[in-house]
Order: sequence, then structure tokens, then C-alpha cells
Amino acid sequence: MTNNSNDLSAVRSNFASSLLAGDKFLAMQLGKKLLDEDPGMRLLTFISRQLEKAPRAELGLKPLKVALLSSFSIEFLRDSLAAYSFLSGIDLQLYVPGFAQFQQEIRNPASGLYTFSPDVVILAVEGSDWLPEIYQGFLEELTGGFDSALARFLDEFQSLVQTFRANCKATLLVNNFVPPVWNKLGILDCQSKTGQAQLVHGLNESLTGLCENNPGLFIADYAGLVNRHGALRWYDDRMNLYARAPIAADMLPWLSREYAKFFRALLGQAKKCLVLDLDNTLWGGVLGEDGLTGIQLGPVYPGNAYLAFQNAILDLHKRGILLGVASKNNPADVDELFAGHDKMLLKRKHFASMKVSWGPKSESLMQIAKELNIGLEHMVFVDDNPAECAEVSRRLPMVTVIALPRQPEKFVSEVLQDGLFDGLTYSSEDRRRGELYRQRDEAEALRSTSGSLEEFYENLKMEVTFAPLTKASLPRSAQLTQKTNQFNVTTLRYSEAELADRMRHPDWLLTSVSVLDRFGDNGIVGLSMARFQSDTLEIDTFLLSCRVIGRGVESAMLAYLCNQAIQRRARSLQGRIVPTQKNVPARDLFERHGFAKISETDGGTTLWALDLPAKMVAMPQWMKVRTDAEVVAER
Amino acid sequence: MEEQVKQLMADILNVDQHSIDGSTSKDTTASWDSLSHINLMVAIEQEFQVSFDVSEIESMLSYSDIVETLERKLQV
Repeated sequence: MTNNSNDLSAVRSNFASSLLAGDKFLAMQLGKKLLDEDPGMRLLTFISRQLEKAPRAELGLKPLKVALLSSFSIEFLRDSLAAYSFLSGIDLQLYVPGFAQFQQEIRNPASGLYTFSPDVVILAVEGSDWLPEIYQGFLEELTGGFDSALARFLDEFQSLVQTFRANCKATLLVNNFVPPVWNKLGILDCQSKTGQAQLVHGLNESLTGLCENNPGLFIADYAGLVNRHGALRWYDDRMNLYARAPIAADMLPWLSREYAKFFRALLGQAKKCLVLDLDNTLWGGVLGEDGLTGIQLGPVYPGNAYLAFQNAILDLHKRGILLGVASKNNPADVDELFAGHDKMLLKRKHFASMKVSWGPKSESLMQIAKELNIGLEHMVFVDDNPAECAEVSRRLPMVTVIALPRQPEKFVSEVLQDGLFDGLTYSSEDRRRGELYRQRDEAEALRSTSGSLEEFYENLKMEVTFAPLTKASLPRSAQLTQKTNQFNVTTLRYSEAELADRMRHPDWLLTSVSVLDRFGDNGIVGLSMARFQSDTLEIDTFLLSCRVIGRGVESAMLAYLCNQAIQRRARSLQGRIVPTQKNVPARDLFERHGFAKISETDGGTTLWALDLPAKMVAMPQWMKVRTDAEVVAER
Repeated sequence: MEEQVKQLMADILNVDQHSIDGSTSKDTTASWDSLSHINLMVAIEQEFQVSFDVSEIESMLSYSDIVETLERKLQV
């Protein structure tokens, strides 16, 4: 046995024992170590089997029910999907019907698929199975035209999606199609719009187009994934023809990692903040030793590799990811660099928080988390120094740590490959997040100069807009349910499809809350969902983004609900508090607004009620309140 | 190599490594079905950096067959 396999077998047994001991984070770290080293079938099977044996309920994993529907034998993905989901803290429950059963499973309302009641349904169909005209019969169809084949497919697909939606609220994740590995017309294929590759490209465009009108339908870019790895490596023709298992075993982990990106996004686990080391991470060399002119950053290797890395990080900033620095350096040197190095793509203003000191990096991360009001489990730490990485992993096991490889040209892939920051929406709030945090800083500064709290509220000149949920505000609203942890009374997570379903029911009162203040437009920062049940209005969801906590917006939201309740002759407004580790700021919401406690369960969930119209929550005087109807009327 | 094959079979087929011997075959092992057979073949390919033809996959139906085929492959 080699040293390496000795090491691995030690890690294997540590992994197994940490699982049995219920140490989730350690097991996740060791599992990652194993799979980074060897993502082969043997270890995947081992990990998946250990997970089956483990006391998963005690590990505090997030359960997720996933159905895998396919035109081929996708059974072989089981172990790797379970293993990679676990690395993200997800307890995967899988349903895999026999292959080529996807049509029947979706069309039969009594199918095993619907009985399973999945959270996510993956539809992995190879193009050649669904559109043989384009993949196999291409030369025959070339004279007859492809229009009817394409129209047939799109009709069939849309009706399938409709049938699915009528039976199931799960997220539907559909693979798009990979162009044929060998085009029938060879080099001529790309000279015509009806070449095979172009047809498949057009097909994928149509699929993406369907997402717009089908909330909860998402496309997995399977074509892009296969392209990244190369179709010749991706497919195993031998296993395809022998066992209907077309995907090469070495590639299954990559498919699992792609799906895991969606799982994390749907569970609200997308990372929000990237904390970076400086020396040998953002540039080559050590600033304190090599000096401003000695570090490697510029058009020549390796300086250009660091530039490429900075550019990728800048993209993350533009996507709304908060950036931080945790560096052991002299603060003055770093200040000088940000002020004076003309090749730096990342500027001081791109960083929401910067910790430059000689203390442990875990301390810096904790300070950044506190400053930005972000949970450590939403942070990613990147460093080239394995010792720093180990220190952070040990002290803050909930932080995702990326230890950079020695070669800077590998940094971009290393940080991007698992899509840790990927979400399924890109709202105007995301685009402006950096700016929004600056606004919040200014507001905090104002708070410290204002005398009384009322004075501070007055000075903020807030305008709060209540609007019914619309197709346009749906993605942001779903995102808020998935991401809001602190001011959230029930912490119920919803997909777009689930919210879209509620929009169709008149007894649901779904309200998005936008806040404008003197520092700018905060966009949609709150959401309430309540349901009229006989003479009661029951609050299901009541949440506020942490950006606007502590400004009385919650009082305005309750006042709005009271008014709506009265208009529909409800006699009571009720709500629940489901305590979590995070939602301390929301726990006294009902109590401090005069609700009476009705009951309390063993788990600590409390039920509160306000008698109407005897007791009403008053609209705070210091904010201007608008309803969506008024906004529309003004336009 | 023989130990390595046994360990690997133990992992994939979920059996005790020490119970594997010359008499272990697909017919005598309940967990060795057609699905786990593919997983086993793939795992051997990955572990030993070899590639099997379909005819080899179809013929490696016992521990002894596997060892024999692997020895032949690794010598070439």
C-alpha cells in the first residue's frame, strides 16, 4: 500500500466515526477531503453507505427529497449524488423509477413520483432519446424539414410541464441537450442553420424561454457541463450500449456537483460573503517583503493569473456577493497598495469589510460576520496557506474553506467550480448589494447622531410600500423566504412554484414590502403571507431583511395586516413564533404589539392572537405608507 | 493486488472483506446483482487504471475471474 492510501484509510475511518458521533461539520470536512483525493466509485459507495448507517436525524442535516427521472439508467448517480449533497449538509432522499419511465411517472397522477412528494424533480433526458429526428434521422429529415419535429417536441414538453405542475409543487429541474458528438455532415454542419449543432442550440434556447412562464421550472446546463469536460470524456459508449449507462463513471461526480448547486440554492444555502487572503492570493509574493513594486500583478505570468483571479472576484462582487479581507499584514502597507498599485482590479470600495492584523484569521472572520450581520455558514474563506485554512476549519467548522493550489492559474476554477455563490434569482437588490450595505452604514451613522429613536426614524424619511405579490416580485419574494434567517417568525422556505400556487388562491394575502429612505431605495425587503380562515387572518410568513431591522417597519406591516383583516371582516389576527437559533430579533414581535399568547408547544412554538377590531396595531407616524394601487395611480 | 481487490469488493458489494475467497462469485453473493456488477467493474477500472472490454465485463463473474483478468491486464 502506498502512503497515500494509508492516509486515506485513516481519513475513511475518521469519517465513519465522526458520522456516528454526530459531528456533522467534521464529517463534512473529512468527506470533502476523501472526495477531493479520490472521487471514484469505491469511495462514493463507501460514503453513501456510511450515511445510510448514520443517525442522520441527529446530525442536523437539511432533508431534501429528490426524484431522478431519466431516459437512461441513472441509478449509477445515486451514491455520488448522496455523497456530494452531504458535503453541503443535505440529507438526500432519492426516488429513482425504472429508466425511460419519465413520461408515465409524470402523466399518471397516481404514480410513485407523486406519492413520494418530492421537493425537486430532475428530468435528465438525453437528446437522442427524446428527439431522434435530430440526432439519428438527421439526413432523412434534412429534406422534409425539422419544424414539425421541433414543434412536436415543444408541445409535448409543455404539456408534460403542465401536467406535472397540476400534480406537484416541486421544483422541476430539466437538463438541456448536448449537441451530437459527431455531426452527420461533418464540417458542413456549421455552414447551415439547419445543421445538427445549430438545431440543438435552438432547442436549448426554446427550453430556456419556457422558464419565464413556468415558475419553479429551471434548466440545468447539461450541454455546458459536458462541454466543460469534453463530450468524448463525458460519455462511455461501451456502458451506454451495454447497460444504458451513457455517462462515464469518472464524470458522475461532476453531474452530482452540478445538481448540488441547485439544491443549495433552493435550500437557501448559497454563500453570501467571500473572505480573501491577500499575499499569494490576490497577487504573487509577499507585500511586506517584496514591496509595492515587487509583488507579481500585471500582464506577465504569473501576474496575469492573479489579475484573472481578481477579475473573477470582481464578477462575484457585481453579482451581489460581499467581499472581505482577512490578511496578516501591516495595515499601512495594505492601505498604500490599495491607494497606489495601478494594476489592482479590486479596489478598496469593493470590500465590505477588511481585517488586516496579525491575529488568528478565525478572529477576523468572526469580526467580519458580526460587522456585516452574516452567518458564518454563509461565508467562504480562501487562502493559499494550508496552515491558515486548517486554523479556520478547526475553529469555525461551519465556514467553507478553499485552500488554493500552488498554481495561480487554477484559482478561478477552484473558487467557481462548485458554484458556492450561485442562486436562482438575480434581483436588482443583488446587483446593488454593495451599495445597499453602504446605505446601511450611513443610516447607522445617522442613528448614532440622532437623539431619540423617534428622531432617528423621522430623519430616515422612510416610505414603505405594500404591494400584492406579482409575477415580477415573485423571484425576490421566494429568495427572501429562502435567505432570511433573523427577522423571520416561522422560517418557512418556499420555492417560486409554491408562491405562484398561492397567488391563485384568493384567501391568501401575499404582500411584498419595499422601503425607500433618504439614502436610497432598499427595494423589496419584507414579505408577509397570511391566509383568511373563516373569521381569522392567520400569518404563515412574516419576515424582514436584516438591512431594515430596527426601524419599525414590522409595526407598519402588522398595521397593514390589521387593516386588511378588518376590510374582510376578520375578527382575529393570529401568528406563530417558531424559535430557531437565528430568529431572536423576531421572537417578541407579537408580544410587543399587544398580541395575547394562546398556546405553546413542547418545541417552544408559540401561537399569538390579536382581537379585532378591539385591538389594532397603529401605523407608525414617522413613515409614509403607500399601497401599490397609489403607486400605479401616480404613474 | 489480491487484498486490494478484496477490499474493493467488500466496499462495493457491502460484504465482509474476510469472507471473500476463491468461491465468491456473482451466483453465491446476494448483493452482487447486475447493477452492482457494473459498479464493481467501474471501481476496479478506476482503482487499477485499466479498461475492460464488454466481453471481459461479462466474464468476470467471480473473485478468481477478476483476479485472473486483472493479472493478465496489468502484465501487458
